[in-house]
Amino acid sequence: MEALLEAALRLAAPLLIAALGELVVERGGVINIGIEGTMLIGAFAGFAVATATGSAAVGVVGAGAAGCAVGAVFATATFAARIDQIVSGMAINLLALGVTGLGARALWAGAPPTPPLVEPFPIPVLSSLPVVGRALFQQSPYVYGGVLLAAVLGFGLARTRTGLRLRAVGESARAADAEGVPVLRFRVVAVLTGATLAGIAGSSLSLALSDTFSEGMTAGRGFIALAVVIFGRWSAWGGLAAALFFGAATALQFRLQARGLGIPYPVFLMFPYLVTLAVLAFATGRARSPADLGQAYVREGG
Amino acid sequence: MHALLGENGAGKSTLMNVLLGLVRPDGGALQVAGESIDWRRWSPAEAARRGVGMVHQHSSLVPAMNAVENLCFGGVEGPWLFSPEAERVRVAALAERFGLGVPLDRPVDDLSPGERQRAEILRALARGARLLVLDEPTSVLTPGESEHLFASLRRMRDEGRAVIFISHKLDEVEAIADRVTVLRRGVSVATRDARGTDARELGRLMLGADLPPLERSAARRFGPVRLGIRGLSAPGSSEAGRLRAIELAVRGGEVVGVAGIDGNGQRELEEVLAGVRAPSSGRIEVDGRSVSPDVRSLRAAGLAHLSGDRERAGLVPGFTLAENLVLKGSYDDSRFFPRGVLDLAAARAAARRVAERYAIRPPDPDLDIRSLSGGNAQKLAVARELEGEPAALVAVNPTRGLDVGSARFVHSQLLAVAAAGSAVLLVSTELEEVLSLADRVVALVRGGIVPVPEGSDAAAIGAILLGRSAA
Amino acid sequence: MSERLLRVTLSAAGRAGLAALIGVGVVACVLAVLGYEPGPALAALVSGSMGSGAAWTATALKATPLLFTGLAVTIAFRCGVWNIGAEGQLLFGALCATAVATRIAPGAPGLALVPGLALAAAAGGALLGAIAGVLKARRGVSEVISTILLNFVAIQLVALAVQGPLQESAGAYPKSDPFPPAAMLPAWGRVHLGLGVALASAFAAYALVFRSAFGFRVRAVGLSARAARFAGISPERTALAALALSGALAGLAGGVEVSGVTGQLFQGLSPGTGYTAIAVALLARLHPIAVIPAAFFFGALEAGAGAMQRAAGVPAVATQIVQAVVILVSVGLAFGRRAAPELDPELVGEGPS
Repeated sequence: MEALLEAALRLAAPLLIAALGELVVERGGVINIGIEGTMLIGAFAGFAVATATGSAAVGVVGAGAAGCAVGAVFATATFAARIDQIVSGMAINLLALGVTGLGARALWAGAPPTPPLVEPFPIPVLSSLPVVGRALFQQSPYVYGGVLLAAVLGFGLARTRTGLRLRAVGESARAADAEGVPVLRFRVVAVLTGATLAGIAGSSLSLALSDTFSEGMTAGRGFIALAVVIFGRWSAWGGLAAALFFGAATALQFRLQARGLGIPYPVFLMFPYLVTLAVLAFATGRARSPADLGQAYVREGG
Repeated sequence: MHALLGENGAGKSTLMNVLLGLVRPDGGALQVAGESIDWRRWSPAEAARRGVGMVHQHSSLVPAMNAVENLCFGGVEGPWLFSPEAERVRVAALAERFGLGVPLDRPVDDLSPGERQRAEILRALARGARLLVLDEPTSVLTPGESEHLFASLRRMRDEGRAVIFISHKLDEVEAIADRVTVLRRGVSVATRDARGTDARELGRLMLGADLPPLERSAARRFGPVRLGIRGLSAPGSSEAGRLRAIELAVRGGEVVGVAGIDGNGQRELEEVLAGVRAPSSGRIEVDGRSVSPDVRSLRAAGLAHLSGDRERAGLVPGFTLAENLVLKGSYDDSRFFPRGVLDLAAARAAARRVAERYAIRPPDPDLDIRSLSGGNAQKLAVARELEGEPAALVAVNPTRGLDVGSARFVHSQLLAVAAAGSAVLLVSTELEEVLSLADRVVALVRGGIVPVPEGSDAAAIGAILLGRSAA
Repeated sequence: MSERLLRVTLSAAGRAGLAALIGVGVVACVLAVLGYEPGPALAALVSGSMGSGAAWTATALKATPLLFTGLAVTIAFRCGVWNIGAEGQLLFGALCATAVATRIAPGAPGLALVPGLALAAAAGGALLGAIAGVLKARRGVSEVISTILLNFVAIQLVALAVQGPLQESAGAYPKSDPFPPAAMLPAWGRVHLGLGVALASAFAAYALVFRSAFGFRVRAVGLSARAARFAGISPERTALAALALSGALAGLAGGVEVSGVTGQLFQGLSPGTGYTAIAVALLARLHPIAVIPAAFFFGALEAGAGAMQRAAGVPAVATQIVQAVVILVSVGLAFGRRAAPELDPELVGEGPS
């Protein structure tokens, strides 16, 4: 049980961080399906920088910076070239696959070195608690970071003026513009923030969950992060719960696979998506997405 | 409390947009709070800073957020750390002071139009507006809510603030205005003290005295009733737009004009007659038979629909002339869609013929309709609707945005189709258009039909449109 | 062909060609930067895709599913609907075809079996498309999200099938029984009938979109749902039909893959074909006939990528960069006009007003 909880949290961390980043983006009214590619680039860049510098921490920073750069590409395509958000996102995913695949081969010729890892560390006192001590309080920094981020975002969106304005931009860009809120600036900053977080999330794949980089290692986690945002009803705490849910499902899947129980594990893997679809189909009222999500905003001529 | 009165297109909204910094004037001066304004610096933000606040007719609040949040996100004042509880107390106090009760915790989307409007007023007040501008404030309110609003406005006035409200309703002007200014065709015609001005005087000022009195066409013989609208009611986008048991009968060869100021149910009426909005009760009868109120049934029964708005007219931007000409027939018109196949050659040939007959320039059937001028696009719509000799034609603002020549063409076509025996229902916010074409005129006021007596002069008609029956 | 039509076609072809060239050019630059030699790499790419009979065969085989899925995406986008689920629809179509070929009617004669499994494949894909369509029409669920989610569901359904009901008799590996010979598509060497069907489908799709009443309505809704509504067309029903048809085509791609190439169902059947299809459709500017050269372009990329990897040591994933650049350039070159016509937001349940 304890091991399960520990695994669930550990596996949920990349989903959580990426989803929280996308939450900021979508609350601003933009949908970036390129998180998948951004996470992959984060995994690659983090790994490369960490092995080059010998420091995992610097690697994480590098991953964030790389994610931000990808976000800049997305922003340019979407806001400057007026390319549709969905199309830009798909392009980012393809670009990431290609660039990281090429880069990996070029740098390590198929035999990536072992990087310095981001090690879990215990929180004193709390980690000695029975039952949950180890699972909750001797975790990877990504887990602590993710939970902290959820709290910060939850607070920030609801209780700061910036958060309020971001939400206004996402719900009705027109109304926000009429009130003097700089819509474009908010959206660009949101996109860059989300992409940076996705990059950091990606680094957890190559520097914590495993100790290597392989082509396409995100394996759809970026798309799952999209589902986490929706399943969490576009709230930070909801996202935390949803990410945990997905993390638990994955942990359970490994467990049951070892145990050889009757339920085939593709069913487990399928389950979160089906539930998300069901939630989407039957959610009423407030569980709608930000009203202006995906709509490019062009100020109408005066 | 100053009322601004005028017909559609008189310039009321433009004037207010100038005041708010949204439109730069070609000339003239503005003084706000005793200071002259430099046009180069004037903008909505600047106007707000000087205490000018606007309450729009169509809400500019964020629908999914509640009233408190809507009030707080704009503007630069206030702490960065936003405490919903503290702000709520502040807003509640403000609401209390002016009698503007608004549910503060529900998303604005869930509120009634009256409550939404009160929230918008609150927002302007919270910004420190000393001058409040309201655009047709009671168009979305029930009579009870209007009373409530007037009470709040009076409190603001008593506190020393000023209120300008745009209106076309006489009872409002009489109820609360201190003074009224009438605009006609972009010119300020008169400013009067609101007490003791009578409806006919205002109506005359609003419409001008030079409209010919309404005379029924002498001794023209009309056929049997071809278009019957019986007890038609429908929900509206606003309180004023709700259709209330509309009764209209149009005979073959007759042109019935429905005059009215925009926002009194014209859109709803058009949508029901076009088959796009479901009525809550009542019937539409063509040639005596009741018809199911959907687009295809109405069209099959012979009811044609012409609109001044391209999309409402069913013209698809990006489709060619030929494609738009045959657009309405994709399900059942075997001339152009034999057995479910598009006969493009036939469509193009038809388009070429139509272009020649109606002098559409350029007469290229493969040209994207977006490249056509308004007049030419409307000619295509006219050709499409009128060909096939419809039993009845519903024309709604058919000459909106058209130049004089194109407008005249459309009018001549309307009269021609009537002369050929069709029943024509002309719904227009341009009174001159209605008066010049119609054999008989009624008014659409607050979703209901009000008769206009024969021999009414402009003043009388104006009074009716303003909500007062002719004296 | 009228003069204007010729001019428009040439200009569109020119822009597409430009996009393709820029795509390849960018990759060449990236390769150079990373220390590879772009020259030999590109040469291997070309020879591996077009340099020999075997190369052409490989290209044609890769192009076939891209043709089907490219058409699928094209039809949906034309209606203003984002079908990102071609991948899942393809997989589910393959699953249904496999079920028919190995479990339901393995003993049937080829003349019945092949059309039968093709029909099953199309029906399976159509079902997935229709689910997304109904969710959008009735509940306002964005089809972007629902089709992506269904992709994952389909991947797991295939896994479930090949580990369970459809697993091979030997029970050793997660894959299906090999198809009986009668279930395999007739072929000449390695080139199977599916290619011919795909090419025919492109022309059929062209006829449907531009010459049929249904296609007329699809285009109208994609350009302006509001105007279409006033003309008596139901945007909701049209979009649903378009999604179902789109799914059917993608499902057919899956059926053709298993009965023409692999002869078997297993996990990892599709190398992201459904996503590449989006690049194909956008490069073809949503014109069904243009999907043919676009599908061949990306098919050549995929076929040549293997040769490029073997001969010049450049990883095959480099071609993804080309795809990405091509998408961005070909859409960006449309000068701000949207890649796919946007379906009116009013479409879902809010009615006209």
